[in-house]
Amino acid sequence: MPEDLSPAGAYPGPPALRVRALAEAFSATDLIRLRIEGPGRDAVELRRSTRVPAASAGAAPVEPESGSPIQIAEVKADLVGILHLGRPAPAEGQEVDAGRELAYVEALGIRNPVRASGSGRIRTVACRDGQAVEYGQVLFEIDRS
Amino acid sequence: MFKKVLIANRGEIALRINRACRELGVHTVAIYSEADRTSLHVRHADQAFCVGPGPVARSYLNIPNIISTALITGCDAIHPGYGFLSESARFAQICDDHGITFIGPKPSVIAAMGDKATAKRVMSEAGVATTPGTDILASVREAAGAAESIGYPVLLKATAGGGGKGMRAVNVPEELERAYASATAEAEASFKDGRVYMEKLIVRPRHIEVQVLADNYGAIVHLGERDCSVQKPSHQKLIEEAPAANLPAKTRDAVQAMAVRACAHVGYTNAGTLEFLVSGEQIYFMEMNTRIQVEHPVTEMVYNIDLVKEQIRMAAGEPLGYVQGDLRPAGHAIECRINAEDARNNFAPAAGTLEHVVFPGGPGIRVDTHVYSGAAVPPFYDSMIAKVVAFGETRDAAITRMEHALRETVVEGTPTTIGQCLEILATKRFRSGDYDIDFLPSLLHAAPVA
Repeated sequence: MPEDLSPAGAYPGPPALRVRALAEAFSATDLIRLRIEGPGRDAVELRRSTRVPAASAGAAPVEPESGSPIQIAEVKADLVGILHLGRPAPAEGQEVDAGRELAYVEALGIRNPVRASGSGRIRTVACRDGQAVEYGQVLFEIDRS
Repeated sequence: MFKKVLIANRGEIALRINRACRELGVHTVAIYSEADRTSLHVRHADQAFCVGPGPVARSYLNIPNIISTALITGCDAIHPGYGFLSESARFAQICDDHGITFIGPKPSVIAAMGDKATAKRVMSEAGVATTPGTDILASVREAAGAAESIGYPVLLKATAGGGGKGMRAVNVPEELERAYASATAEAEASFKDGRVYMEKLIVRPRHIEVQVLADNYGAIVHLGERDCSVQKPSHQKLIEEAPAANLPAKTRDAVQAMAVRACAHVGYTNAGTLEFLVSGEQIYFMEMNTRIQVEHPVTEMVYNIDLVKEQIRMAAGEPLGYVQGDLRPAGHAIECRINAEDARNNFAPAAGTLEHVVFPGGPGIRVDTHVYSGAAVPPFYDSMIAKVVAFGETRDAAITRMEHALRETVVEGTPTTIGQCLEILATKRFRSGDYDIDFLPSLLHAAPVA
């Protein structure tokens, strides 16, 4: 959900400095994903790394092999309400089948299920339990490749 | 006073409401569609929630998502602006059911005034002169009978209507069948209510409307009249002014008194506007708009009152705090609507990106807008992109200021109505103040914009 949509004005200066300043400010929050769109086509999107940074050189993050593009299916909120994660809470890395209920959005006292749009592995959990969500907000990303 | 207000609108009026809330120390929540993600009203509110995709039925008219947004953000009131849900009695009732104050009159009053046929009946009871006409017509055959008894020319009007939608003039019996079919179809498409009624067409009237304000305790004042006779052939207003030029004092007093009497009769609360057609000494009530209007700034300029703040104050239960005698209008104000429209092509709306935008300023100039250089004009919404308002000590001074302001205005990316407005301001008829609702259509007919 958009909690503060004005950092573009708060971090003037060259783009590289602006992105660095944004990244520092972003790290200080518990936000999972932050997307800032300018008046034109420029946009900045920051995402929290889903992995603990590697402590040693031996545990390099897994990179997708070249030549096999990742197919990501986004699961979005289709209404405004309070999000409640399923029990047990869906976790990153977990395999899910298409149609599996991952969460529900409570709006006007009604539970509206949020289902996996395709089978695959949950790549990102982009929401928190009890969070207010807006229409079209990405809640999960499912790696279908 | 409210703690947090949800602004259930977009465009310049959403910004206008946001500013009023700021001045009152009230927090704001904006709603927006996916097509309006980069719109200014999203940026300036304290919080903003996307409520649906571009088409209005799924976003700005999406009652469940709007109410849900208000509830989860802890809003205690909703300001509906104009258009969209502003005259929906059902929406006002739903707000009420959820313990949220709808900033406007009571649902029952919105319902009575929103049904134009009912409104006319209620106004007659209050002793307000209305246009001869019918109740809702069941068929084209009934329409034909009614037209014979009223006498041609007649006007078919959508009972749920506004903004000229679902309205057709019928000059001779041969035109009736086709006009009836297109009026009902357009009304159905625009309002999901195809019912129409008929009125006598008053030839060459002036459109004079009276602004009213009423608190929850029975205090009612009017804030004078506006002349909105410069209308496109579709009956949509293009230039408005306050006060009305050359309106005889007797007529002015009569419409103002009628407006206050009507409000008292229906138990009206909050801001509203009564629209009249004035032809010579004849005054006919046309309709009442139970909301803030696009052209409200001209009244604000001559009365030095912030109508949107007054709306919020009244809705929060504050008393009006002044009486009619305290209100002293001064000077003259004119508003020109800058629409992304092609005046050479029957004012066809244009969508696109506004590559470069420069707005005027200086003493006596006010610009209410939501656009900027690079802003998108989505195809889903009203084509108005700005209102330029000029104030002057006299009408002539206001016109002069307006002309300079419009010449300073730059909008690149879509065609606009700026040239058309300048052309109107330059005519002898507009300058004399002696114009009626046929003025612009006949000007277009006589000399199409080169």
